[in-house]
Amino acid sequence: MTSSRRFAAMVSKVFLGTMGFTVLFATSPPLAAQLLSGESTVKVDSATLPDAPIPTDAVLAANDLSSPAADFSSNPDQQAGQGNPPVAGAQEPHQNPAPPSLEDLGMTPEQTKADPDTQARLDRHTRMLKIHQRLGLITLAPLAAACISSAAAPPDPRKGKENTVGREIHTGLGSLSVVMYGLTASYAIRAPRVGNAPARGGIKVHKYLIYIHAPGMILTPILGAMAYSQASNGEKVHGIASAHTAVAWTTVASYSAAVVAVSWPIHLKF
Amino acid sequence: MRENRLLAFLLVTLTAFAQADHSWILDQSTLTYHMSHPLHEVDGVSHAAKGKGVCHAGQCDFLLAVPVKSFDSGDSNRDLHMLQATRGAEFPIVTVRFRLPEAALAAATLDCDLEVQFAGNTAHYSHVVFRQVIQGTEHHITGTVPSTVSDFKIDPPSFFTVPIKNEIPVRVDMTWHLS
Repeated sequence: MTSSRRFAAMVSKVFLGTMGFTVLFATSPPLAAQLLSGESTVKVDSATLPDAPIPTDAVLAANDLSSPAADFSSNPDQQAGQGNPPVAGAQEPHQNPAPPSLEDLGMTPEQTKADPDTQARLDRHTRMLKIHQRLGLITLAPLAAACISSAAAPPDPRKGKENTVGREIHTGLGSLSVVMYGLTASYAIRAPRVGNAPARGGIKVHKYLIYIHAPGMILTPILGAMAYSQASNGEKVHGIASAHTAVAWTTVASYSAAVVAVSWPIHLKF
Repeated sequence: MRENRLLAFLLVTLTAFAQADHSWILDQSTLTYHMSHPLHEVDGVSHAAKGKGVCHAGQCDFLLAVPVKSFDSGDSNRDLHMLQATRGAEFPIVTVRFRLPEAALAAATLDCDLEVQFAGNTAHYSHVVFRQVIQGTEHHITGTVPSTVSDFKIDPPSFFTVPIKNEIPVRVDMTWHLS
């Protein structure tokens, strides 16, 4: 075979091979799927085929879209504040693969769907706990005042008569503390539960301290009433009533620790 | 003759490669938001992000998604409040979309225009620079998204009547590979 014939044979083989491999590799998987599914019958209509490939940038410019992600529209429920117009690029020639969607990432509908009921519970949960927080901080005031007024509560034997005024003030402030405490606790108890995850962090300590200050807030006024009665009868406070002071201080300390624990960690930075 | 066949094979292989699509997959990630308050400094961390990129005709479209409730600040009460404030039950997924030229994916820095969907609103961040270190087939990318509370129309939570700072930057640490 002459050299010219060999050259012609080689060129023809290269040409045919190139055409064959180009057809094979230029077909994208989505197009192949569409061809197999038969959905392309409308898209391959010769009347709608463009004369030349349309660049993606030109399509974006024609639709006046500045965001490249305007093509994405995986979950309409998540687009509440967006309002992007539909993209002509979605009907681009089928050679362009679709941008990735949430389904492509393996996100299930359960993960992506909106749950307004849970959001409403969360809103109520937060609202009630905010009231619980405010009342809890306000309750610190009568508690502190009751602790301060406790100095004037015991009868003063040096004066030979009972200092009922100091005792009455202390009793009033203690009673107010108990009422405020009960009101504070009611908002935390009635706040709706959201999820079953265990408590972690400062809130865990806050919850554990309940087991100290809650019984203390019940015992303290009971022991205080017993001590009041004994003092009113001119007796020296004795028996279990004498534990009123220790129980009260333990209650106040654990209550204050609970306030600090839920705010922890605290970094003073102004 | 053998050389001609080899040359023909190389020619068609290059042609085929130039037209092939590529996909990028997110291997692992650490996203950390930072919240500031005069009395608190809080970091919430998530390792639950998923991502994918599709390259075609020299352009790559990326999507990154992370569940809002996957962020952990170390305090379950604070995380629950965060979920409420960001309407995380109504809009459970944060999505980040961006497009890059395929030729830019090998650079040491990536200049990205981000579209972030969060709390039912969309915000755009232009020219966010990420650093990239390529180790074999893995692309390690780090950077910070300068997000703010007001960008997504979130009512800023307050503590002792003092609201948190508007800036809630999100540090990003990701590893991608070409699939």
